[in-house]
Amino acid sequence: MTDSDQPTVLVVEDERALIELYVRWLGDDYDVRTAEGGEEALERFDGDVDVVLLDRLMPGMSGDEVLEAVREQDTDCKVAMVTAVEPDFDVVTMGFDDYLTKPVEQETLLETINRLLSRTEYADLEQELYALVSKRAALEASKPAEELDESEEFADLEARIAEIRAQLDETLSDVQDDEFVAMVRELEGDGGDEREGQE
Amino acid sequence: MSYPVEGFDEARSFDDGVSLLLAGAPALTDGRLFDAVAPRRGETAVVVTTNTSAARVAEELLDRGADGEQIGIIDCTSQESDVDDDGVRVRQLGSPGDLTGISLEFAKLLDDEGDDAQVRVGFASVSTALMYTEQQTLFRFLHVFTARISSGGMFGAFAMDPGMHDDQAYNTIRAVFDAESEVADDGTASIRGTGFEG
Repeated sequence: MTDSDQPTVLVVEDERALIELYVRWLGDDYDVRTAEGGEEALERFDGDVDVVLLDRLMPGMSGDEVLEAVREQDTDCKVAMVTAVEPDFDVVTMGFDDYLTKPVEQETLLETINRLLSRTEYADLEQELYALVSKRAALEASKPAEELDESEEFADLEARIAEIRAQLDETLSDVQDDEFVAMVRELEGDGGDEREGQE
Repeated sequence: MSYPVEGFDEARSFDDGVSLLLAGAPALTDGRLFDAVAPRRGETAVVVTTNTSAARVAEELLDRGADGEQIGIIDCTSQESDVDDDGVRVRQLGSPGDLTGISLEFAKLLDDEGDDAQVRVGFASVSTALMYTEQQTLFRFLHVFTARISSGGMFGAFAMDPGMHDDQAYNTIRAVFDAESEVADDGTASIRGTGFEG
C-alpha cells in the first residue's frame, strides 16, 4: 500500500474503531500510517509524513507533547488537531495548523487534509513570488524604464509573476480566519528570530 | 456591494476584496486612511495601528460619524491610551513585529461577524512594521492579510511612507496591493491600479 506518489498521512488516535474508520476514508487517496498513542506516533513519524491527524486527549503522551516533538524535527509537515470541544483561535498559535471537532465527518476530514496539503504548495509558490518581485524591484531601481521595456528577460519575469499570482489567488480564494492565523504563525516561524524589535 | 469613499480623485468606491496602498508621509496619509476606513452604516472598521494611539484612532473615526460599536483597534504602539467611548474594542499588542498576534486579534474582532459582513481594514503603517520585521516576512504577511481581505469581501487601506525605504524595498512591498494612491503635498490623492469605480 506504499505508493510514493501519494501524500502520507499519520493518524494518531487512541480509539481503535476511529482509526479503522479514518483508514477506510483515507486509504484510497493517501499513504496512511497509524499510531494508537503518542510514543508510537513519534516512532512512525519521519520526514515523509505530510499531514498528522492528532487526537489531543490520549492516555500517556498527549497530543500537545507529540506536536512539540514533531515541531522540533522542523519538517514542513502539517498537524491537524482532533478535539472533542470546539477550540479557540488560540490553538493555532500553539503550533497546530488546523483543528477538527469530533465527531469528524468524512467530507470534513478530506477537505481539511486537502487544504493543509495545498497550504504547503502555497508556501513554496509564495516564496517564489517574493523572490521574483524583489528581483523585479531591484531591476526597476537600477535600470531605466526604457531599457526594461525592451528587455525580454524582464518581460518573462513579469509574465511569471502574473502566473504565480493567479495560482496563489486561486489557492487563497476562500481562506478563512483560522487558516489566516495559522499561515501567519507559520511564516513568522520561517522568518527565524530576526524579529526582535527595538524598544 | 462596494465601499464608497471620498477624497480620492478618480475613485468613488472600491470593490469588495480590494486592498489599497496609501503612499506618502504619515502627516498626509493618516487623514486619508481614516477617511477611507471610517465605517458607513452597517459596516465595521478594524484598524491596526503601529504609530498612532488607539485614543486618536477612535477619535478620528468617531469624528467621521462612526459609532463606537463599529470600531475595533489593534494597538501595537505600546502606549497607554484611554479610549473614551466604551463601545470601541481595543486590543493591545506589545510590538508591531507580533504578526501572529495581529492576525489572531483580527480574527477575534471579526469572530462575531457573518461571512457577508462589510468590513473596512486600516493598517498604519507598513513602514513602522518594516522596522520590526524582515522584509520578506512582512511581504508574506501582507500577502496573506490581503488575501484574507479579498476572500472576506472586505476593503483594506495600508499606509506606507516611500521616503523611509529604498526603492527596492518600496517596490517589492507595493506589489502586494491591488491599487495605490499617492498622496501629494497639497493633499490630492491620485489613484491607479484595479478594483475601484470612478
